Amino acid sequence: MKLVVAVIKPFKLDDVKTALQEFGIHGITITEVQGFGRQRGHTEVYRGAEYTIDFVPKTKLEILVEDAQATEVVEHIIEAARTGKIGDGKVWIEPVENVFRIRTGEAGSDAL
Amino acid sequence: MIAARLREARAALIGDEALRGPSFGRALADAVDAALEEAFGRLEQHDSVALVALGSYGRRELCPGSDIDVLLVHGLRGRRAPAAIRAMTEQLWYPLWDAGFVTGHGARTVKDSVSLADDDLDALTALLEVRHLAGDDVLTADLEQKVRELAERRQERLLRALADAAEVRRLRPGPVAEMLEPDLKEGAGGLRDVQSLGWAGWAFGPPGGTDALISRGYLAAADLERVETARLLLLDLRVALQRVTTSRSDRLALQEQDAVAAALGVADADVLVRELSSAARQIAWTTGDVWDRVRDGLKGPSGRGARGDQPLAERVILRDGRVHVDADPDGSIPALRTLEAAAAAAEHDAPFERASLTRLRATSDPTWDVWQRAAFLRLLRAGANAVPVFEALDHEGVLVRVLPEWEHVRSLPQRNAYHRFTVDRHLLEAVAECAVLLDAGDRRDHAPGDVEGIVARACRRPEILLLGALLHDIAKGRPGDHSEVGSETAERFARRIALDSEGREILVWLVRNHLLMAKVATRRDLSDAAVADNVAAACASDPERLRLLYLLTIGDSRATGPAAWSPAKASLVRDLFIKVAAAIERASARALAADRRQALSERIGEARAHALLERFPETYVLAFDVEQMCMHEELLEQAPTARCVREEGHVTVTVAAQDRPGLLATLAGALTVCGLDVLGANLLGTTDGIALDVFRAADPFGRVDDGGARVTELIGRALAGDLDLASRVNERRQAYAVAGTEPGPVVIVVDNDGSETDTIVEVHADDDVGLLYRLASAFSGLTLDVRIAKVATLGKRVVDVFYVRGADGRKLDDDMTNRVRAALTACISG
Repeated sequence: MKLVVAVIKPFKLDDVKTALQEFGIHGITITEVQGFGRQRGHTEVYRGAEYTIDFVPKTKLEILVEDAQATEVVEHIIEAARTGKIGDGKVWIEPVENVFRIRTGEAGSDAL
Repeated sequence: MIAARLREARAALIGDEALRGPSFGRALADAVDAALEEAFGRLEQHDSVALVALGSYGRRELCPGSDIDVLLVHGLRGRRAPAAIRAMTEQLWYPLWDAGFVTGHGARTVKDSVSLADDDLDALTALLEVRHLAGDDVLTADLEQKVRELAERRQERLLRALADAAEVRRLRPGPVAEMLEPDLKEGAGGLRDVQSLGWAGWAFGPPGGTDALISRGYLAAADLERVETARLLLLDLRVALQRVTTSRSDRLALQEQDAVAAALGVADADVLVRELSSAARQIAWTTGDVWDRVRDGLKGPSGRGARGDQPLAERVILRDGRVHVDADPDGSIPALRTLEAAAAAAEHDAPFERASLTRLRATSDPTWDVWQRAAFLRLLRAGANAVPVFEALDHEGVLVRVLPEWEHVRSLPQRNAYHRFTVDRHLLEAVAECAVLLDAGDRRDHAPGDVEGIVARACRRPEILLLGALLHDIAKGRPGDHSEVGSETAERFARRIALDSEGREILVWLVRNHLLMAKVATRRDLSDAAVADNVAAACASDPERLRLLYLLTIGDSRATGPAAWSPAKASLVRDLFIKVAAAIERASARALAADRRQALSERIGEARAHALLERFPETYVLAFDVEQMCMHEELLEQAPTARCVREEGHVTVTVAAQDRPGLLATLAGALTVCGLDVLGANLLGTTDGIALDVFRAADPFGRVDDGGARVTELIGRALAGDLDLASRVNERRQAYAVAGTEPGPVVIVVDNDGSETDTIVEVHADDDVGLLYRLASAFSGLTLDVRIAKVATLGKRVVDVFYVRGADGRKLDDDMTNRVRAALTACISG
């Protein structure tokens, strides 16, 4: 099993969710996060008050999938989250040792 | 054996759904009693021991998941006592544990029990409700007697501790009536509140319990009856909840509400929650009132009347920390008095005095004149302190007369993972959060980047923000989109309270669009300019609407719950706000441009207006009014020519001439020779090679008093090349030189990011006659095109700012930047 982790632009969440649901993914964990990558932050000015956005708001997705699905899931995320502009985010795949469903105690693929 | 039978009995009772609430509690207590009595009967010796039930078991109010609190009271002494007691307790408690109960148990002498109760509030309250189960009942009676005496002896400490604990429950876990997932036991208005009343009674000695509170005037018998009804409903719910969850939890989670409603035969979860809220409100109200009186009693007369009466409004006074309201001779109270009393109560964070509160029921219907409106808005502006006032008014039926819409949202649950509160409390929380934002706007010490504070400060109609917060979710739970339906309610409300028409329009708009910014900020690409333009259009390009919507979005989200307002979301919404504010400014610039074009066409005809504007860059119409544009047209016809106009505090010198390198230097030099100090220059190229240069200059010597004839003549000669500008400027420089001062540093700042089209060059240097002339000459020496020059004089220092492009029309590259630095430095020191 793999954990697919993606950090995307917040407004792309709906598109990614729809794409993954169509692909047959049933569970996603979402976290609102902040950070910077090559996009860095930026400075805005409002009525002379300058404020710096050091960390850009992003949405982080975590999806547990079967080994065989991981690459495809990543492709779907990339396709749905892409705007072509800086700050589109990243996706990566992590190995997962085991998974358990808390309610039933099912393990491994059964728990996905 | 005993354990197995007890386990079975318990399972049977839990399975018997006809046993609800108190009857379940009694039945389970009976089953446990039977098991313990049997176990006690099997003890080898039971002299000088008694088995007693405590707490909820003592009251026979057990729920399926309740702990069993038991105590073995004994009078044993000596070396062999501990072993004997251990043997007894093992025989007594094991059946309970084996049957799956969690127990709170102990074995103590009467003396030790009393001493423990003296140290620990929970121990004391548990021992106030002992029930004899088996053994030596003289021991039990002795324990009961001594604990009750202790409670009376420690009256003040006990009462304070109980009142403080009640206050803590209000904050955490929060009021049962207003939480979406209330704690039936520990929440304010929950079962613990009711129990506390009984305990408090023992502080006054026999008869103890609530009877003592009634006889002392702390509690009305009618109120106690209502509390008792509410208590039974809560017990019923708690038993059903623990049946459904098979756990000990007292939290009525959203996911359990349907099942609990079904178990109780209630139509649906919403009905269940409403019934619960109304019961919990009754408990919270009555117990809160008792604690207020108890606190007053503790303070004593010296603590109360010390500062005398403080008048708050007509026939409204603050006395002993309570707001007193008098009725008219006929018993009625004008609406204005009630509203002003409510506002004052919130502002002073003081509760209503009890009798006054009852009198408020006779409040007449508001007519909403300007004073009543103002008092109502003052109440809202008080923010968090207005919440208990709203509760009090609602309890007396006054609130629905002021705001009939409240009836619909009272205790209205909402099924939404983000929300913490029922709709009514959420609305009040939103008002409170918006009041906090306005407070921040009232302070002057805004931190840099405090956009919220600056926006709140700029608000022209803060009262509309408060009304919007109060009404934004007023239509939740009605058919249709709650924003849309709510805006209709807001319109009726605004007409009823006779809000001015602009305020009404903005309020209706605000309620209809209250989710707009939160939605767009999280779901749209903010780097797409169309997004900000759309929101700007939704705000009708009105910066005030945008400000109010931004503040309401923050207040609403904060009032919803921690999950609804993360730093990430705050940052997105702020970003959107700034972009929309900029879009509105752009839109108003476009509107200004369109107006001026129109006015110019009306003045000189469409063809000529078009021809003139065609010759200039887009920004031209924003910089000049129609009078000036007409003058420019005339000057362009007659180029080369110049004109001086005296204006407030400065003169404007406009020159039309063939564009050429060094034109700025020539004109700056000519003006210096005339004795004018240039403050700024706007240098406009036209499409046909004629430049229009507009100078703003100070005229310290009155050189333009003759209508500017001398100045224009001198400019003409300079343009024709008939003047040796360099030496004339130098002469003046010598004449005005100040001897003996140490020259200040020269600082040159080159900014390639500040403007989209030009490089900005800032020169900081000592002020000097003809400085602009020499700097402009340096630029023209490098064949650079200066488009805008600004001059700021700060004492003897000066900052000249130039917007510059290369001969190719682009910003300067690094090489050219270095050459510019060198040339400028040389010309200043030279």
